[in-house]
Amino acid sequence: MTEVIKRNGKRQSEEFKREKLHQSVHAACLSVRSPDGEAQQTADTISMVVRNWVDQKPSVTSSDIRRVAANALETFHPEAAYLYQTHEMVV
Amino acid sequence: MARKPQFDYDLIVIGSGAGGSPAATIAATNGQKVAVVEADVFGGESPNWGEIPVKALLHAAQLYDEAKGGTRFGLRSGAIGYNFLSLKNWKDLVVKRTGAGGNRKYYEKHGIDTFASVAHFLSPHEISINRRHLSARQFLIATGSHWEKPNIAGIEHVSYYTPRDILDIPRPPKSLLVVGGGSSALEFAQLFAIFGTKVYIVEKAARILPEEDEEAGELFQRLLHEQKGVTVLTQSRLLTVQKDGLGKRVTYSRAGQERSIRVDEILVTTGRTPTVDIGLENASVAYTPEGIEVNDSLQTSAGHIYAAGDVLGNKKYLHTALMESRVAAHNLLNKQQIKPDYTATPNITFTYPGLASVGLTEDDCLKRDLDIKKSFAPLNMIARSNTSDFRDGFVKLIADKKGVLLGATIVAPHADEVVHELSLAIKYGLTAAQIASTPHAFLSWAEAIRVAASRLS
Repeated sequence: MTEVIKRNGKRQSEEFKREKLHQSVHAACLSVRSPDGEAQQTADTISMVVRNWVDQKPSVTSSDIRRVAANALETFHPEAAYLYQTHEMVV
Repeated sequence: MARKPQFDYDLIVIGSGAGGSPAATIAATNGQKVAVVEADVFGGESPNWGEIPVKALLHAAQLYDEAKGGTRFGLRSGAIGYNFLSLKNWKDLVVKRTGAGGNRKYYEKHGIDTFASVAHFLSPHEISINRRHLSARQFLIATGSHWEKPNIAGIEHVSYYTPRDILDIPRPPKSLLVVGGGSSALEFAQLFAIFGTKVYIVEKAARILPEEDEEAGELFQRLLHEQKGVTVLTQSRLLTVQKDGLGKRVTYSRAGQERSIRVDEILVTTGRTPTVDIGLENASVAYTPEGIEVNDSLQTSAGHIYAAGDVLGNKKYLHTALMESRVAAHNLLNKQQIKPDYTATPNITFTYPGLASVGLTEDDCLKRDLDIKKSFAPLNMIARSNTSDFRDGFVKLIADKKGVLLGATIVAPHADEVVHELSLAIKYGLTAAQIASTPHAFLSWAEAIRVAASRLS
């Protein structure tokens, strides 16, 4: 299992959780008014892309996951990608 | 007083190939605490599946080919044959004897820690390897490049080779389609053609060897066709690949027409991509898909991180990577920074005859709008051509109006050896007259250089 290093200063780490990523991508898609089915499909695809990438790495940072997911989302859903990338800055 | 930050290592080198190895050794010799991380096989591409094994097989193939043609000298060579398995054993022996191929002990002997793992930057001074975190004051990225899947419809449904795995082939195929017409493509085309394979070369450009002088591409196209029966398809684009029985059917477009051929195997020699997926964003290292961006001193956008070798996306020669690695080592260790000098780097194609070029090609000079003069000396002008019964080749020299040498191309046996005289001349700004006035041994191939130089002076 790949270790995900969190971005807070204490450097806690956790295992990569596909569901967590899936939820965040799903939420980003719903926020740009995608139908739920489409949001689910997009989240499935993005989770698979990121999962495949993560599997090749021993450790990654949470910002790595955000970046790779956003890059993949850019192809499938540019609007959601924008929201996904800028979410923390906006909030 | 603020405490100096503590790191696990002074230098971590990511990649153990030609771009990483010299720097790691130089730094360790200078008392630095060094670690090398390798994601693949220690030694990198060249000793394991690059120049070393390819050259070993080419040497055997060229010997075989020359021996077969020995009847014209009065030799009885009709019964000569080969055993491909034995040839592969010879190649494996050569790889084993290089010492660098897969050999971690080399580094350990120099007091360098080695780690076999994918490296990933977590922060500017920290990487993860096998879920272990290592920090260093400085880094050298020498991750090299890798083969990308070609953009051809249907390629995902058929098997194909790259130069990395073609030498594992159990026996020479009956027919082979080589995608790309560069240096590597020609070496493999000649290698397999010598062992009886019907070879097709597909190249998008108007000639093979598009980065070399025009005369070289034209001559090799003729020689490969006349002597080895190779079909060269220039200005051709592959459209689709599909299974056809045990072979593959390849459709290509040429001169506006679609055609197809059936081949047993496909070798893709195009599409090498720098390996940059190592968390460079976490280290604030700027890069593009074409490679890591560095300044003249090979320093990346993160001041403590340098890069060398194929990962820069420059010309992919081993000797270039070695030079960059030495330069990077110097700059990592010293405040006085130096720059790599690419001006006199020879480009070699290890075919027979060999092809070697250095400096600017005629096309380069045209693009730069340089006022040049050039000379051309066919090999059949010199005595060695007669004694060796070899006539197809030339030396071409390019100089500025004052006669200072700017570039050279040689097609000749042993071109890879002969070219270094011209590298030296270009590096130190010698004139054609100075080369022409230097004695060249009678019956050496280098006499053609003197002839070409005298025509310029």
